[in-house]
Amino acid sequence: MTDFASRLVSAVLATGRRLSGLVCVLLGISFITFTMTYFAPGDKAAAIAHARYPDAQGFPPEILDGIRQEFYLNEPFFVQFFQWLWRFVQGDFGNSFASNVPVLEIFLANITETLALTASSLAIGLVAAFCLSAISVWKPGSLADRFAVALASIGAAMPNYWLGLLLILLFAVELNWLPSYGTGTPAHIVLPALTLAFWIMASQTRLLRTFFLEAKSAPYIETLRLRGVSEREIFWRHIQRHAAVPALTMIGLDVASLLEGTIIVELTFARGGIGSLLAGAVLSRDYPLILFLVMFFALVYVLINSLIELFQDALDPRKSLELLSNTDVGDEVRS
Amino acid sequence: MTVASDLSLTEEANLKQKQHGKNLDRFLKNIGLGLVISGAIAAAGFFFTPYAPNAPDFLNRLSPPSSEHWFGTDQLGRDVATRLLYGGVWSVGLAFLITLIGAITGTLVGLAAGHFGRFADITLMRMTDSFFAFPELVAAVTIAGVLGPSTANMVLALILVGWMKFARLVRGLSIDLAHRDFITQAKLNDLPSWLILWRHILPNIGASLLVLWTNSWSRSILSISGLSFLGFGVQPPNAEWGAMLLSGKAYLQTAPHLMIFPGLAILVTVLTINLMGDQLRDLVDSRSTISE
Amino acid sequence: MLSVDRLSITISKNTILEEVSFSIPEGATLCIAGESGSGKSSLLKALNGLIPARFEKLSFHPRTCPAITHKGRWQGPPGLQQSRWVMQDPIAALNPRLSLGASIGEGAYSKRLSGAEQDKAVAAALDDVELPPALATRRPTEVSLGQAQRACLARALVAQPDLIFFDEPLSALDAIVQKQIAATMKRIQARYGNTFVIVTHDLGFAATFADQMLVLRNGRMEACQPAKMFFERPASRYCRDLIEAARDLGSLPQDPLMADEGHQ
Repeated sequence: MTDFASRLVSAVLATGRRLSGLVCVLLGISFITFTMTYFAPGDKAAAIAHARYPDAQGFPPEILDGIRQEFYLNEPFFVQFFQWLWRFVQGDFGNSFASNVPVLEIFLANITETLALTASSLAIGLVAAFCLSAISVWKPGSLADRFAVALASIGAAMPNYWLGLLLILLFAVELNWLPSYGTGTPAHIVLPALTLAFWIMASQTRLLRTFFLEAKSAPYIETLRLRGVSEREIFWRHIQRHAAVPALTMIGLDVASLLEGTIIVELTFARGGIGSLLAGAVLSRDYPLILFLVMFFALVYVLINSLIELFQDALDPRKSLELLSNTDVGDEVRS
Repeated sequence: MTVASDLSLTEEANLKQKQHGKNLDRFLKNIGLGLVISGAIAAAGFFFTPYAPNAPDFLNRLSPPSSEHWFGTDQLGRDVATRLLYGGVWSVGLAFLITLIGAITGTLVGLAAGHFGRFADITLMRMTDSFFAFPELVAAVTIAGVLGPSTANMVLALILVGWMKFARLVRGLSIDLAHRDFITQAKLNDLPSWLILWRHILPNIGASLLVLWTNSWSRSILSISGLSFLGFGVQPPNAEWGAMLLSGKAYLQTAPHLMIFPGLAILVTVLTINLMGDQLRDLVDSRSTISE
Repeated sequence: MLSVDRLSITISKNTILEEVSFSIPEGATLCIAGESGSGKSSLLKALNGLIPARFEKLSFHPRTCPAITHKGRWQGPPGLQQSRWVMQDPIAALNPRLSLGASIGEGAYSKRLSGAEQDKAVAAALDDVELPPALATRRPTEVSLGQAQRACLARALVAQPDLIFFDEPLSALDAIVQKQIAATMKRIQARYGNTFVIVTHDLGFAATFADQMLVLRNGRMEACQPAKMFFERPASRYCRDLIEAARDLGSLPQDPLMADEGHQ
């Protein structure tokens, strides 16, 4: 009973520690993001005025002063930071400097494109990676295995903007099968999705292959083999499950690279989406939009990784206990 | 005094050492040979090329690969092969510099987090986690874009987002090492902590650092050309592989060689560095069996 | 003379060691025996200041450490410079990237020797532990386990300490090397008169080495006797069982008198 209580306390403590860590990281992220735009050159008041009165030529100083008052532009750095953060937490993300439309609206109009691209390329890439690595661990060292390894190495070194251009050259220019740039029809998504999927396939094949190989030589798999369980059943029922957890962790770690890939691919194919939105916002110095998008990317990364950590804890309760005993005292008691 | 079994054990250890030494020798020879060959080709290129990277030749625009212009010429009649050579200096050299600075910064942060107590550890690692949340490209595009697209701003951006992996690795390894017996011995022998860091911790994490460093070197090459391709990095007329791709993109139909060769250069370079890193990692793994 | 009065170790409410006292004269050997988990190694760590401990009095000639009875953390034995510690696993105790000579030289770091003086000290220490001078340039991975343990011993000797702690110094080695290194240890003690504190679970080794025996069991002192008396008339039933077990395993010579007593 006391054992259970103490475990409960330690679990709560571990969760609390993790949550407080998460809050610190979120604060750090907002601080870095805000700092990036704060020190940017140029008069922000003039930019806001331009957005509000798109037709006006030059602004009287009263208007600019009014805007500075309204957006706390004359206040010291930390006041501005907390003003912005407070609004952000409340869900007030401001209006775009360029179009005076609420940032959230612009974002929602563009996110579907990105989601479609990410989802389709993840689906293609993961399925391809699974098949390739399964074939390659079937007979390590065989021709198929070498082919998979070579493909994975090339994929890891391939600049995906170049791959995109090559695909356009082949399928759009030479063969004229698929449209090259832009969005519109479902066919438009094929080439971008293939480009991104190739990178996903490469990075995941490498990892899955290692995990499968490790799982294959695990002692309990050997035991199954000795008991006469067929190779096929071993692979589908045991090895796969064994490799799932580490593979999932690695997929989580690659979220950042996936987001990066999405941006590059969107820009290469001149598609709409969050990546193109960010590039456009950066070029036109649309600070509310930049702040929102950068925060979005960072939050997605942090949240996905926190989720994966929780998932790992759920699968492996020892890990949360390890976190607790990860102090000098714990080591000494053990020795 | 004869110590028979001691001697036989020594011989065995000697044998292992020799074997290992042989592997290392062969590996270093391979790398050395590769470097010498590519260095020689590049130097010969710089020496023999009759063209300047930025000299236009309007009579010879967009000409396909020929015996005169091996990789053809671009929209201003500049020799693509020559520009690739000079572009390599930008891409590979800048990436080298950026990762070197990142590695040094990250190592310092990681060591500080691992050795200056709990408070420093928590603060520094929360900071590292915060920086980690920004995908390299997002941060680089934002910084480079907000400050204005230029080579210097791109370098600044990539340095700002490139040090965290080193910090995490160094912190993890050095905390792991701190519990080893030989560190305890050094402490009991009254060694000051800077000397412990210098003599005992740094040499033992050096190999892993080197592996991570080759890895981020190749990634950095991809980032630099990616950013330049998007227009946020090295600006034309400077010959950089990504920037060359960007200007070649417009001539996709008429002169595809403008876009094929720079991409190939990036692919081959990154692949080479990655393979080098893989080999290095295998070597480190095979050696770490003893210290584990 | 090393004397410890009522030393206790408590780590997060777990009592690791309770009121252990002992004293040994200069140049003598104390062997600490007991099963694993009995607190032998913790005692050694506490004496070296690596984990916090409480005690009434702790003195090592000529200095005395005043009592630390609450939570005080103390910085190693009084006169830290005069003690060294040889650990169980020589490979873990030596930096794999440092030559043996450099590692041994670190033992004398607190003496601030010049380069040449240090080289001389290292060469002398290598000679003391019967290693060829050429080994100074080797890495720990390039020598045998026995040689590595000798190098650790040399690192301890190079500072000419009055007191050397040993934590199971022979248990990582095979039987022949054990014998050879034990002989080396004896010779060193005879030549320099260091006080040895040796943690071991090998009673056979303890019987040939110890002047004083300390037996720990579950963090309590089970016996603290002169060695001769310990093996002839052990202080408790538990000690007798320990000795019996060692006899059965053949690591202690059979003693007909004792065996008779045991069977009655």
